[in-house]
Amino acid sequence: MTALNGLLVVELCGERGQYMGKLMGDMGARVVKLEPLQGSPERNIGPFKDDKPDPNSSLYFWARNTSKESLTVDLESPQGIALVKKLLKKADVFLEDRKPGFLESLGLGYEVLKKTNKKLVMTSLTAFGQDGPYRDYKSNDLVALAMGGIMHSCGYDDVPDSPPIRPSGGHGDFISAHYGLIGTMSALFYRDFTGVGQYLDVSAHEACSSTTEASIPTYLFLNKEVFRQTGRHQGATPTPKTLCKTLDGKYIIVFQLFNNLNSWLSLVKWMSEKGMAEDLEDEKYKDMARHITSNTKDSDHAFEVVRNFILNHTADEIYRGAQELKYPWGIVRSPEENLDDPHFLDDREMFEDIPHTEFGNEVTYRYAGRPYRFKGTPWNAFRSPLVGEHTAYILKQDLEYSEQEIKNLRLTGIISTK
Amino acid sequence: MPKNLMRVKEEEQINVQEKPLSKNALEGVRVIDLSWIVAGPQCTRLLADFGAEVIKVENEAALDYCRNILPIDADGSPNRSGLFNTLNRNKKSVTLNVMHPTGMEKLKELISISDVIVENFSSRVLEKWGLSYEDQKKIRPDIIYCSMSGFGHSGRDRDYVTWGPTAQALSGLTFMSGLPGEESAGWGFSYMDHTGGFYGALAILMALKHRNSTGKGQHLDLSQVEAGIGMTGTSILDYTVNSRPFRREGMPPGNTAPDKKIAPHNSYRCRGKDRWCVITVTNEEEWYALSKAINNPLWINDKKFSTMALRYENQDELDQHIETWTINRTPHEVMHHLQSFGVPAGAIQTPRERIEEDPQLKERDFLPTIKHGELGDTKVEAMPMKMSETPWELKSASPLLSEHSAEIYMDLLGTSGEDFASFIEQGIA
Repeated sequence: MTALNGLLVVELCGERGQYMGKLMGDMGARVVKLEPLQGSPERNIGPFKDDKPDPNSSLYFWARNTSKESLTVDLESPQGIALVKKLLKKADVFLEDRKPGFLESLGLGYEVLKKTNKKLVMTSLTAFGQDGPYRDYKSNDLVALAMGGIMHSCGYDDVPDSPPIRPSGGHGDFISAHYGLIGTMSALFYRDFTGVGQYLDVSAHEACSSTTEASIPTYLFLNKEVFRQTGRHQGATPTPKTLCKTLDGKYIIVFQLFNNLNSWLSLVKWMSEKGMAEDLEDEKYKDMARHITSNTKDSDHAFEVVRNFILNHTADEIYRGAQELKYPWGIVRSPEENLDDPHFLDDREMFEDIPHTEFGNEVTYRYAGRPYRFKGTPWNAFRSPLVGEHTAYILKQDLEYSEQEIKNLRLTGIISTK
Repeated sequence: MPKNLMRVKEEEQINVQEKPLSKNALEGVRVIDLSWIVAGPQCTRLLADFGAEVIKVENEAALDYCRNILPIDADGSPNRSGLFNTLNRNKKSVTLNVMHPTGMEKLKELISISDVIVENFSSRVLEKWGLSYEDQKKIRPDIIYCSMSGFGHSGRDRDYVTWGPTAQALSGLTFMSGLPGEESAGWGFSYMDHTGGFYGALAILMALKHRNSTGKGQHLDLSQVEAGIGMTGTSILDYTVNSRPFRREGMPPGNTAPDKKIAPHNSYRCRGKDRWCVITVTNEEEWYALSKAINNPLWINDKKFSTMALRYENQDELDQHIETWTINRTPHEVMHHLQSFGVPAGAIQTPRERIEEDPQLKERDFLPTIKHGELGDTKVEAMPMKMSETPWELKSASPLLSEHSAEIYMDLLGTSGEDFASFIEQGIA
């Protein structure tokens, strides 16, 4: 049995909120995504399969909408709203990320919905929350990362005139969705004992603002603003550079050089065998490793010697060699470079071949798979839905519309079916 | 009494009766928290904020590293870290030496009356302690055991170690952040410690839900690197479907949006030293709004900016034009002005601005105050949500080291005062 077996989730989400439904669906909840007749706008985000833009070919959409059903319905029509309301009467969870007030304007606000479904957990994941002076400001991933302070910590200290950098990949959306789902799950746990649902007002701005590690405590407690440094932690005071170039043109991040005496001694031995230890066998370096100090002139020198050693080896040699010595160093990999790492590929079976029968009976594509491994309940992802793929099914099975009614709704432009 | 008023009275009464019933979402859930540094404590903090009883098991010989960073003064106290405070509020601290047989016995007693165990040691530590999931199950059959290691508890590299930056580097997240042609800008903090914590909490909450339905616990085997890989899904598919690697000319994309092919979508220099804003235009309506907001300068009617596709193609030139407008304004002036026209724009805010100025964060009580045993009144980041039935609650600041030892040993485990004193003397408690 799946962890979220038996839950019916209705989702009216775009870029910000869609990951909540995906994570629930992958763990066994039934997730119905409400979409406009021509499909959700996030289906237009690239890249596309074979670079051919099509609502059913967005790889961005595929990655973020697995394990969902698509119900295409016109929310500008009273009949469409009535249909959704009927579905929400049976739902356990309603996830939405529209601007504040939009759902109320449709008559689908929480106060209305709870009258006919007191067990409903409704989560509104908005840019700034349901109230406050910025409530109606427009936002998106980039704006959220800027205002939430994440960009302030990321960028370069050795590229002149360079701006703060937003880590690409939609992390403002991820952070918001992760928080939204954590809140939603806590509400579902509570509901198991009380039978009572509730309303969650989740703010992306606050979610990002609380995901900046030491930035806030550093200001609160040291009265200092951290500054960004290339490829490593922001600092209140400068720290040594961690990016080290390798023989094959990649980078390794190197840190905690002197955090462990045994690791240090083994590293020097390794370098010495290759004739590249220079003066690192000297006692003074051992002392530094013994006392876990760094940032002195000597450690800067040691770092340079190590940097040169790394430059003469491949990334894989350094990564594996250093990890054997308990150094927590890692290769700065491009995402696809994990696809052939045997630890993730073979041993952990991290990647999942998901059927795409719309392209042929035998067709599967390899996905980044489960972000966690539940030993007692399966992770069961299936491909994202085609536009309107499940409309007819849901209307018939869940809402008990007749074939004729479904046909009428389609002909009047209230729904679309695949 | 008029009927209407009677109804109000009744409702009031209902409210009064309901009040004692209203409680925290996770009340009654007990978590044994063996974790340290950031990822594990972030995970259990989320559970504690929702009302779970989180017992942080600490060992004076191997203190949580975070107790000793970001001190206010260097007096050697383990109770003065701001980062520790925000990550460990709402928790209890008990000191317990697991290397001592009596200490281990006490830990097992704690497990027998708990729902969840969380740890983020390297992958063989609990096994070595004789506390593998199978062992834990013998003590508490429906236990939920969440292990948060770098590479997971199986596989050839399970003994490799990660810190946040390692997981970010390996998963691809570091590489995805930067300007094309430069080294990686990466992440300026341990994002994967935060996110590893999010996935830990999510997994535990889902497993608790499953336990509610089935009575069964389970082992949740988390890998910090895998959680990171999960978020690279689009790039993985671009490679497996289109054979296009992310490592290619022109990538990473800086602050531009090649996935959406929209422009402007970038950071812009503002007035002041190293001050920046972001501006995005996602459709024609917003483009029109932007034109209006900056008073329709001549360049804006240039043919090369007349469609989204052309703006995207000519974005370098477009960005230069826009910067001539932003450069004379502060980031917040840009934001407020453009937002008033309906353009999604934002200031790249500094920590000081978020803490002292942001009116939205103020209004939503983002930095509530709580009294700490040594630090006095402290501010911590709030949970980013309001909940109608079970709001998160800030009940206590981070615990002083061993602050709750007496309570845990004596009240919870029934240890006598005499034995407790001797535990302290022997270095068990």
